[in-house]
Amino acid sequence: MATIEIERLAKSYHVYQKSEGLAASIRGLFRRQYREVQAVRGIDLQLEQGEFVAFLGPNGAGKTTTLKLLSGVIAPTSGTARVMGFVPWHRDNAYRRRFALVMGQKNQLWWDLPAQESFRLHQQIYRIEPDRFDRTRDELTGMLQVRQLLSQPVRELSLGERMKMELIAALLHSPEVLFLDEPTIGLDVIAQHNIQNFLRDYQQRRRVTILLTSHYMKDVVALCRRVVIIAWGRIIYDGSLEGIIDRYGGHKVVSFQLADGQIPSDLGRYGEMLPEKPPRAKLRVERSVVTDVLGRILANHAIKDVSVEDPPLEQVIAEMFNQADDLPKDKLAEVPELLSEE
Amino acid sequence: MHTRPHYFRVLLTFLRNSLVRDMTFRANFLIDTISSMSWVFMNLGFYILVFRYTPTIGANTGWGKHEFFLFLATTLLINGVIRGLFLSNAIEFSEQIRTGTLDFALLKPIDTQFLVSLGRIEWSAIGPFACGVLLLVYSLFQVHYLPGPLQMVLYGFYLLCGVAIYYSLMIAMAATSVWLGRNKTLLDFWFYITNFSRYPMEIYTGTYGDPIRWVFTFLVPVLIAVNVPARLLVRPLSPQSREDWLLLPFAVAATLGSLIVSRWVFNRSLLSYRSASS
Repeated sequence: MATIEIERLAKSYHVYQKSEGLAASIRGLFRRQYREVQAVRGIDLQLEQGEFVAFLGPNGAGKTTTLKLLSGVIAPTSGTARVMGFVPWHRDNAYRRRFALVMGQKNQLWWDLPAQESFRLHQQIYRIEPDRFDRTRDELTGMLQVRQLLSQPVRELSLGERMKMELIAALLHSPEVLFLDEPTIGLDVIAQHNIQNFLRDYQQRRRVTILLTSHYMKDVVALCRRVVIIAWGRIIYDGSLEGIIDRYGGHKVVSFQLADGQIPSDLGRYGEMLPEKPPRAKLRVERSVVTDVLGRILANHAIKDVSVEDPPLEQVIAEMFNQADDLPKDKLAEVPELLSEE
Repeated sequence: MHTRPHYFRVLLTFLRNSLVRDMTFRANFLIDTISSMSWVFMNLGFYILVFRYTPTIGANTGWGKHEFFLFLATTLLINGVIRGLFLSNAIEFSEQIRTGTLDFALLKPIDTQFLVSLGRIEWSAIGPFACGVLLLVYSLFQVHYLPGPLQMVLYGFYLLCGVAIYYSLMIAMAATSVWLGRNKTLLDFWFYITNFSRYPMEIYTGTYGDPIRWVFTFLVPVLIAVNVPARLLVRPLSPQSREDWLLLPFAVAATLGSLIVSRWVFNRSLLSYRSASS
């Protein structure tokens, strides 16, 4: 039996539509117009025990809603889901003892107290044996290198340090399933890297099942083999990371620098020129003709340095959205931006 | 591993963590204590003034100056517990619904109402509560009356009933934020309603008073929250009526009813919770 099983899960909301201006507000007092927003439109998904799966999509795609459904925070409009055999929105204590949700945009630690006080509270709520609690806390604080910060009030921690403490709070009871909703949002590159390393090590040690949403493709590349992409409430891809590039990354990026430091004006005949700082040049080349193009460049020019790379993942995913016929095209313009790294 | 949380230990941790927080912001704690004590003394001063003009509240009601101070002491005790344990939690609960941070409470393997109702405890409420105890003892001396053991036990029990009635109303009102979207006026509304319960029932008579007494006894039973325990101490000094005896079982029924209704409203609100934003 899969650890997470989702069948035709759907969630819609009624949202009050308010027009601009005072007159519209007064009209709204007497008569309101509601719009139905379908956040999740009947998705199917299965995760096996020990999988680390990335859940990607633009803002408003339904990622967080799905995680909230799986955590039992909200109930669905229709469809079913089982996590370790439990229906999440029944909110069984037996289920709530076995999973955790971490949200990069919301925090649960007591703002004015040192994190260790919140950890103690978690120990009581989850009724973790003192020995086990000390062991787990020490292991986690050691892995995340925050042991010396335990007695510092949370409000005096940096964003990265606070996120680490949030992770520890969520992992103290050793959950078997972990939902991570943008755990690296707003963090600098070093803090992101630290959290990525921690998540990878932790997952390998404990073999927990993790569903991760992130806008940072580096998180995804570093951590997940399997990628599920959701857009406008529907799953449009479920497979390996390489699979996306093979299927939707129809080109490669060839960058090179000539020995004489010049950039010939006729480079356009090899492929589409991409912006790049001279003396380097960058070309977008169809995957099928990469070998041929490389051969021609090497034959015609003295090359100092050359590299062939896959296109950035965010571009590939944007391409995927372009090819998905049933998606609203007016939204597509937002996609590369939404998926890009900040 | 135990599967049921140890509620008492969790409560102790809430008390401890709240104390640590209050001691961190000691100036704030001091100002809080001073302002709430000032409110107590202003109230007391006001009623001392009132009793310069009249010996009792209404003729033959039994509510003389010190009897009324026993009533006031009961109000202080109940309000002290409510303010210390539940008021800021109810306001916070309403805010958690609006901002979507209630998510975390819903994830914990513990009764959500317990977690939401007692998460943050205001130690500064001890000041007014202690004033209530002192005023109670002082007024009992003034009326030369020592309650018997049964009366003391019943007084304690009905104080708890009063707290439960107030709490139920408060948590149910906070839970309505789920449907109202915004419920910033919780504190004001709370003040308006409980304002009626700060006086003996006897003052609510006549064409204007009767409906108020009826509504706040049977519909929203806040009037009995303070009146029943206070009357247990005071009324034995004056003739009993049959109504007084009926109030005792009615207060228990009203307490149970309030707790059940508020639990139902609370659970309904959790089902409708939308978890704002990500």
